[in-house]
Amino acid sequence: MMSANLRTNQCIATCPACGLLCDDVLLENKQNKLNVLNNNCAKSFAFFAPSLDENLINTTPKIANKPATLQQAIMHAAKLLKQAKQPAFSGLSTDIAGFRAIYHLAQKTNASLQHANAQSMARNIDVLQSAGWQTTTLTEVKNRADVLVCIGSDIVSHHPRFFERFILQDGMFVSAKQREIIFIGENLSLEKLKNDAVEATSLLPCRAADLPEITLVLRALVTGKQLKAITVAGVKVSDLQSIADKLKNAKYAVLAWVAKDLDFAHAELTIQNMTETVVTLNQTTRAGALPLGGSDGDTSANNANTWLSGLALNDTHIEHDCMLWVNSFSADKLPPKTDKPLIVLGNINHRLEQAPDVFIPIATPGLDCSGTLFRVDSAVVLPLKKVRGYHQPTLALPTLSEVVSEIESLL
Amino acid sequence: MMTLLKNGKLYDPAHHKDGVVEDIYISDGRIVSKPSEKEKISQTYDLTGKVVMAGAIDMHSHIGGGKVNIARMMLPEFQETKTYSEPEAHICTPNCSHNATPNTTDTGFRYIEMGYTAAFEPAILPINARQAHLEMGDTPMIDKGGYAMLGNDDYFLRLLASRADQKAINDYVAWTLHATQAIGIKVVNPGGISAFKFNQRRLNLDENNVHYQVTPRDILKSLSTAVSQLGIAKPLHVHCNNLGVAGNFQTTLDTMGASDGVPMHLTHIQFHSYGTEGDKKFSSAAAQITEALNKNKHITADVGQILFGQTVTASGDSMMQHLNAKHASPKKTVIMDVECDAGCGVVPFRYRDQNYVNALQWAIGLELFLSVDDPWRIFLTTDHPNGAPFTSYPHLIRLLMDKSFRNEAFAKLNLDAQAMSNLTSLNREYSLYEIAIMTRAGAAKLIGLNNCGHLGAGAQADITVYTDQPNREAMFAKPNYVFKNGELVVKDGVVIKVVWGATHVTKPAFDSGVERGLSEYFEKYHTIQMDNFKISDDEITADGRGKIIAHQTS
Repeated sequence: MMSANLRTNQCIATCPACGLLCDDVLLENKQNKLNVLNNNCAKSFAFFAPSLDENLINTTPKIANKPATLQQAIMHAAKLLKQAKQPAFSGLSTDIAGFRAIYHLAQKTNASLQHANAQSMARNIDVLQSAGWQTTTLTEVKNRADVLVCIGSDIVSHHPRFFERFILQDGMFVSAKQREIIFIGENLSLEKLKNDAVEATSLLPCRAADLPEITLVLRALVTGKQLKAITVAGVKVSDLQSIADKLKNAKYAVLAWVAKDLDFAHAELTIQNMTETVVTLNQTTRAGALPLGGSDGDTSANNANTWLSGLALNDTHIEHDCMLWVNSFSADKLPPKTDKPLIVLGNINHRLEQAPDVFIPIATPGLDCSGTLFRVDSAVVLPLKKVRGYHQPTLALPTLSEVVSEIESLL
Repeated sequence: MMTLLKNGKLYDPAHHKDGVVEDIYISDGRIVSKPSEKEKISQTYDLTGKVVMAGAIDMHSHIGGGKVNIARMMLPEFQETKTYSEPEAHICTPNCSHNATPNTTDTGFRYIEMGYTAAFEPAILPINARQAHLEMGDTPMIDKGGYAMLGNDDYFLRLLASRADQKAINDYVAWTLHATQAIGIKVVNPGGISAFKFNQRRLNLDENNVHYQVTPRDILKSLSTAVSQLGIAKPLHVHCNNLGVAGNFQTTLDTMGASDGVPMHLTHIQFHSYGTEGDKKFSSAAAQITEALNKNKHITADVGQILFGQTVTASGDSMMQHLNAKHASPKKTVIMDVECDAGCGVVPFRYRDQNYVNALQWAIGLELFLSVDDPWRIFLTTDHPNGAPFTSYPHLIRLLMDKSFRNEAFAKLNLDAQAMSNLTSLNREYSLYEIAIMTRAGAAKLIGLNNCGHLGAGAQADITVYTDQPNREAMFAKPNYVFKNGELVVKDGVVIKVVWGATHVTKPAFDSGVERGLSEYFEKYHTIQMDNFKISDDEITADGRGKIIAHQTS
């Protein structure tokens, strides 16, 4: 899409509403309301066109639910952090610049860091740190994948445009028609998932709780093991054998999952079954694992924490005596319940259940200010634009790093 | 404000100064000629008896970007504090984090503490360049820059396969330098990373990539010509095919001829100097390689010395890293295909002095250093972290400067390896002047940094001051003073002030018509908009710490 063809009230933006970071979103400003014109992604629409009804948004900082000036709120937040010995910084839904600021404040206040998605992120990180993996990225998938197996997820619930952008299009080395898509999992509807652009789409229904066993058998079959059992967890071994054969005969097989959807104990072992299946496939043909998900800036927070500290962002449950909760992107996310002092640096559209000790509304990167985010595959990092304010009256919200550095200067 | 560094012994090869006692004047971050008598000197450092060199420049060190961060993420055990015994204890500076995957702050601090004032990330995947610059932006104390990887990306291979003319290639190369904010171009396993995606497992210099039907030689010719015709100072940075394979020296020799005399830099050449002699079918081919290097004046090389201990290998060479994954220690590996652009392979590795192959790799590296005649064409690297962490440089310098120290270390190696190396017959000991060439003047000349690596008027005042002592490791591990842009930032080996260095880039002119083909390609095959591929100057400088220094092409 060439920006030269745009009307004056239009712009192309990058959408941080999910880990795909679609950067082809055409926005139009109509009577001070942003509309998403070129795709029908509900997540994108919700992100770019949130309600600006004055009764529903919180653009005023608050102390104990009473309006305050920004300076008063910052001073109060600094006071609470000064009193705390072991603060916890959670949520951490922000972009690189925001995370850098939060990281430095955490260093100064001895705070622990916990991303809202820490639990599901840890499922993948556990596999990376115990065995490593062989992965691929979205452009490789678009141009090479001839067999795609989606395990435990329909993918589209997390990434509405995943198939539209990467699978239902012709790639450099494979046409859409030539691809085969296989879903394995619970509550999936083949009717909804099928698309004429791809000839072969199939579904192997199974309970999510049975995925550990089913992925283990699939891994064994790909390795060449013979099984005596006829069925495993209610699934015919012959059906799994046929998937194993398709994987082995593929030129470039891709095994995809969303860690959040694998919500059962020791899901990392199921993920490892998939990644080790890919390792086995790569001894004779080519394949790649594709961990999807990556919302609320989690991939960015994890990468930045890793280069700043040398360590991945862990799932830590440390006792705390004060909580600072950061959420720039999705208004429907709420802070964890706490009986300790709570500081919220949040979205103007939040409907908080618990009135925090301090609330400071912050700019959303990609909407109120520019920014930088990692895509879910970590290979691609994209700039975000300020779109609200250019095409609408600006809400004049401070950025997270502005607020945080002012707090830091008071400590 | 005028600062005077008085009476130091200058080792400044760019000006042929080999231990000349002279004063240096610094004003506004630069070295200046002796001012008039009227000029007030605000501060004087008496350097009588001290060794003075320009700040050192690491021309090849993996300090930023995807694969380094994957290595950090995969290896939390590297971050633990451990009490190291020999030989690991040997390879560290006093403040060393003992760590092959330092975080960005550690990276800057450990470099400056050793008197290094610049480091260049040699493998920036264009699609991942923004991450590399974010990480380098968070690396304090030193200047930085990078080489953008081409030659395995489908856009380039399509151009080459369709017999596009050289001008089209040149425009694409120049466009890539702009888009990625890089200062040079690198090719890794030419054609091989792409071939691996088509399930080819090895690729020799004159073998076709199965899909594109072009050879590594075609790729080298095309890219080296582009770099040369565009007037980019830094010659094409070449990681040859067949890294790590016994017998690969022939590929390396043939590669020297692939550019028809156009300059090329062969990187971490130690990993490409292996023969197949002996019972174990693995031998040193350092003699053949150095003979060719001495003869082929258009070729430069850095060594990629290995040193014993735990490290991690992080490379764009997914094809060869996949093959090497069986040697991983601890046993875990990341292999990635990346964006029809390149690849990535991260394999942790423990080099052991009692292992035949590792011991011989150590000896091969040193044989190469000691047999190359011209120190302006060979560079001191460990291919950080692939051969060893960069914090081992002082130890490596001592190995080069101190024959008895070297021979003692050699005598502790695996005996079969000792039998296969002629290292003890090499009597050369590097001089301070030669070390200054390899780590300063030569590196600056190679990359095209006119104002770095020397102590002449106009130079950026990046200056390192050492105490001359017989133990060269102790000497180079802990300088007395390090000045960055004229400011004293390290005193007695410890950082006393945090500063932020610049990013060096080059931006050769190109025909903007190149974007017609590119935008069509992005639209059809890529998953981002072409405009978002490009990194603006603002992204590097907007935080108020970063700065860009753009170097002219010739």
